[in-house]
Amino acid sequence: MAIRNFCDYWARRDFLRVGAAGAFGLNLSISRLLEAAAKGEVDPSKSDISFIFIFLKGGLSTIDTFDMKPDAPSEIRGPFNPIRSNVPGLHVGEHIPETAKVMDKFSLVRSFTHSNAGHGPADHYMFTGFHPVSGFNGGLKPNNQHPSMGSVIAHKLGPRGPIPPYVCLPNMHNSGSSAYLGAKAAPFTIEADPSSPGFAVPDLQPPLSVDAVRVLDRRGLLEEVDRFQKSAEAKANQGTRELGVFAQRATELMTSKAAKEAFDIHKESPKLRDAYGRTTLGQSCLMARRLVEAGVRCVTVDHSNWDTHFHNFRVLKEDLLPKFDMAIPTFFRDMEDRGLLKKTVVVLTGEFGRTPKINAKAGRDHWSRSFTVAIGGGGIQGGRVIGKSDKWAMDPAENPYGPEDLCATVYHLLGINPRSEMHTPEGRPVMLTNNGRIIKELL
Amino acid sequence: MICLGFALPVHAAPPVDFTNDIIPLISRLGCNASACHGKAEGQNGFKLSVFAHDPEGDFRALTRESRGRRISPTAPADSLLLRKISGAIGHGGGVRAPKNSRAYSLFLRWIKDGTPYEIGGRPALTRIRLEPSRQTAALNVSQPLKVMAEFSDNTRRDVTWLSIFHSNDTNMAEVDEKGIVTIGNSVGQTSVMARYQGKVATFQAIVPRPGPGVAYPNLPNHNFIDPIVDSHLKRLNIIPSLLSDDATFLRRVYLDIAGRLPTANESETFLSNNTPDKRSGLVEALLETPEFADYWALKWADLLRVDRLKLGHEDAYRYYKWIHESLSKNKPLDRLAHELLTAEGPLTEQPAGFFYRAANNTGDMAAMVSQVFLGVRITCAECHQHPYDRWTQQDYHAMRGFFQQVTTKNSAVGLALLAEGNPTIKHPRTGAVIRPYPLGESMPEKSPQGDRRHALANWMIHPENPYFARNLANRLWAHFLGKGLITPIDDLRETNPPSNPELLDALAASLVKNNYDLKKMIRTITHSRTYQLSSKPNATNLSDEQNFSRALFRRLPAEVLMDAVCDVTGVDEKFDGVPRGYRAVQLWDSQVQHYFLKLFGRPARATVCECERVTGASMGQALHLMNSPNIQTKLAHEGGRIKRLTFKHEDDADIVRQLYLSTFSRPPSRDEMNTGLQYLGSRRFQRRRAAEDLAWSLMNSLEFIFNH
Repeated sequence: MAIRNFCDYWARRDFLRVGAAGAFGLNLSISRLLEAAAKGEVDPSKSDISFIFIFLKGGLSTIDTFDMKPDAPSEIRGPFNPIRSNVPGLHVGEHIPETAKVMDKFSLVRSFTHSNAGHGPADHYMFTGFHPVSGFNGGLKPNNQHPSMGSVIAHKLGPRGPIPPYVCLPNMHNSGSSAYLGAKAAPFTIEADPSSPGFAVPDLQPPLSVDAVRVLDRRGLLEEVDRFQKSAEAKANQGTRELGVFAQRATELMTSKAAKEAFDIHKESPKLRDAYGRTTLGQSCLMARRLVEAGVRCVTVDHSNWDTHFHNFRVLKEDLLPKFDMAIPTFFRDMEDRGLLKKTVVVLTGEFGRTPKINAKAGRDHWSRSFTVAIGGGGIQGGRVIGKSDKWAMDPAENPYGPEDLCATVYHLLGINPRSEMHTPEGRPVMLTNNGRIIKELL
Repeated sequence: MICLGFALPVHAAPPVDFTNDIIPLISRLGCNASACHGKAEGQNGFKLSVFAHDPEGDFRALTRESRGRRISPTAPADSLLLRKISGAIGHGGGVRAPKNSRAYSLFLRWIKDGTPYEIGGRPALTRIRLEPSRQTAALNVSQPLKVMAEFSDNTRRDVTWLSIFHSNDTNMAEVDEKGIVTIGNSVGQTSVMARYQGKVATFQAIVPRPGPGVAYPNLPNHNFIDPIVDSHLKRLNIIPSLLSDDATFLRRVYLDIAGRLPTANESETFLSNNTPDKRSGLVEALLETPEFADYWALKWADLLRVDRLKLGHEDAYRYYKWIHESLSKNKPLDRLAHELLTAEGPLTEQPAGFFYRAANNTGDMAAMVSQVFLGVRITCAECHQHPYDRWTQQDYHAMRGFFQQVTTKNSAVGLALLAEGNPTIKHPRTGAVIRPYPLGESMPEKSPQGDRRHALANWMIHPENPYFARNLANRLWAHFLGKGLITPIDDLRETNPPSNPELLDALAASLVKNNYDLKKMIRTITHSRTYQLSSKPNATNLSDEQNFSRALFRRLPAEVLMDAVCDVTGVDEKFDGVPRGYRAVQLWDSQVQHYFLKLFGRPARATVCECERVTGASMGQALHLMNSPNIQTKLAHEGGRIKRLTFKHEDDADIVRQLYLSTFSRPPSRDEMNTGLQYLGSRRFQRRRAAEDLAWSLMNSLEFIFNH
């Protein structure tokens, strides 16, 4: 239907045809951008903005870190004390002292809230902006009923050069995939831990037993034997054209020194690697920086396990927060030093927070009704506190925001109209966000 | 051009009321679109139901809510509604109807008349028609469409300006809001639909290849399929490609029927066979292989959702075994469907009943049955009128009603499925009782007696059923030809007509005539010249991927490709949860963790949509085929085929020949042989490695990855 829909400020039009007969080629990304821009779906002036999503799976206890309640009774406030940060008036938990020194680099949404305190559905909600509906099975990998933010970004904006547009570190989160947007928008997955000594991206390099001469020999031979590659019949078929494009992109990736180096964390100085911490979180954050630097549009870091039902304080103090407090501040500083932070939106969150009331096992359970999301870079003002939780962090006290709004804000910052309409392969129209509002106070 | 046999009087517009006039208007203007006032919480405090599924609620919203401020009965022109839509005051949705426009005047008249909800005695809308309804069109031309509404009193009215248009394929034709169709740059057949007041109509355009008509060659007909395809191609000024050669046919038919590549020996045997009907003979032989049942069980297990996570390990296996056995016995497909639908009793004895366990609720059951067996998608109608079809909420819940009795009980031999009671279903909005009836039928006076599913199953497999045979025929055609006559293949609807309706009808009739015998149908399709065409295009069909004028390239499904890699290298893949020796095609569980299978798009079986199986390409796939250590291990394996070949054959030519036969199912051409010989010959001291390289190159070629 060709009715101009002014609520969206662009014409509702089937967008799927990009990539269909004729339009497919190596300039896919450019033609897609131009087409989308012509329709008002993307803002090309923002095409240099990237997104890093650091997901603390299990649920970061924000009441012990970013939103302390020192005046609450002890069974709520816990044993940790607040400390000053480098932003006047902003206090954080005492076990993230280094993070306290970079609080000017990002802002806190302290009135974050949503309705699901189960890991699987809450993850899906945070990754996609959509609460899952019946039939959802969190154990599936992927379990996406809607595309993840990274897939939307890959779909709407396409790759920048030989490097893939969307990469998941160290593994793809179950909700990190593309749902109806298909294989082209699915993440490029590493499935390996950048902190392990022998870390290498699978399939990016030929197997060790195949040396460089042989690689060239093989490629030369392939050129000769692949009679369809240049034939009329392959050009006349959508499937072969598509695979041809990806094969060429894969070869470009393999032969692009810059792209290959981006994936090679061993190229980083040992000193900086140490500063990030030789942990999964630290090295994944470093890797995320390297990838964004090399042109990846969205990197997701999926880090476990923040599900502190038992001994919340001991686990936070002795294990999780020390790692966090190396990785996160180093990451923000490094990003800023390289001029990347202003071009990269960074979101730091779990799928929910943790119960204000401490349980009998000295743990905190799941709490989605109120928690804090940290968001910075890419045009976001740092050092701000948006909204607040009530006196015991049970619920937002003002200005509640949810996953819909987080997604809308991220899309907006990357120049994607959050009110775009997408189509499933079945032709069903789906809104890009479920009426998400842009969190204007961040801008 | 459509030509009515008799002229109907064209009346002046009747008085204005909400349900007959204002609803179409707010739909046409997009006010109730899901992005505007139609979204769940409305827009700026004003909410309308999406696709006007709740007219009473919309009426209230417009006339009563917000203390009635939207309408000013005393000064109609000052109504907030009119000032908003005409842009007299700010409106987030912009100017929808300028002052004194036709739409504006209609609103104004309605308000002046006192905003009546419904004026009794107005003739009911019986249907709409698009004029023209079918036309041959040239590339890049525009043409206005007219929507004529027909009413119960035999009057007709032009409602073009109130209708909503939608093109099924915007590459082929675009349509604007006024109903002006512009044909694109592609040759073929396409359609545009119009919607007005819940009724839909379709315009079909046939777009022939421009230029002088080509002389259509006189081609032999293998069976009834070919002349029907020919007459369609003649209309399009396209001539089909030549018949494929034996090697191509061999490879294609092995992959399509048995889901595997022929071995080098099988290829040699077939290629050297000189009997004239060897193609049919091969089809016969393949239909009797155990691989046939394996491959088709995989296909049906996808559709029928054999999902371990949902059903549990043992039950999923039982369910799969039932599917597998049905196919290996060549159970007629109508019987398969009937058994599945009416399954009853202990599930261990009636594993077909696990179909119901794969569903989440009765709505899901209705939707699954409709989509799998009728090819009709009804889920849109759960909440509102299906926007591209005629299905209403009542139709949806009537289908649900067939499954309301389904329940489970514990029995001595485990969980038992049964249908009991006489539950009623109410319309979610009006509360009216809905008695079960199948799609396209009308509501009966009484609910079916006993197990209602029998009534549905009997209706479904009745020879005159408009959906069942056509859906199966379309699915089978798509399996063998790479594209359905209707696409998407499970979206049969009035507004998505088949690319060649006569062919779909003929295939469906053949299926019915042969008692839904799957093997017979496979024989029929694979015997046709159309199936056996080459993929090599000619000057007339270069851009045709729609009308079966040549064979399409189809990527091998994930499991088939995995098995092909194992066959070429002679090294099995070990999968979790099954003994060594199981082929990927034989895996009954789609949840077995496997990087390759996932990467190449094995479906998770979370829905009954065939679209879940991803056939698209990705960079990860390309990288994996090139660089996977697992594939390299297979190539270099001490017990593998490459090593054996280099040990067995002194002559390099034998190695090249064997590798071509096992990957491409054909011997190498002279040039290819020379390339291979040169590569191996210049690496005499590393002959085995050179043979690995050649195998690697062949396996990374499009000719290997695709069925062509």
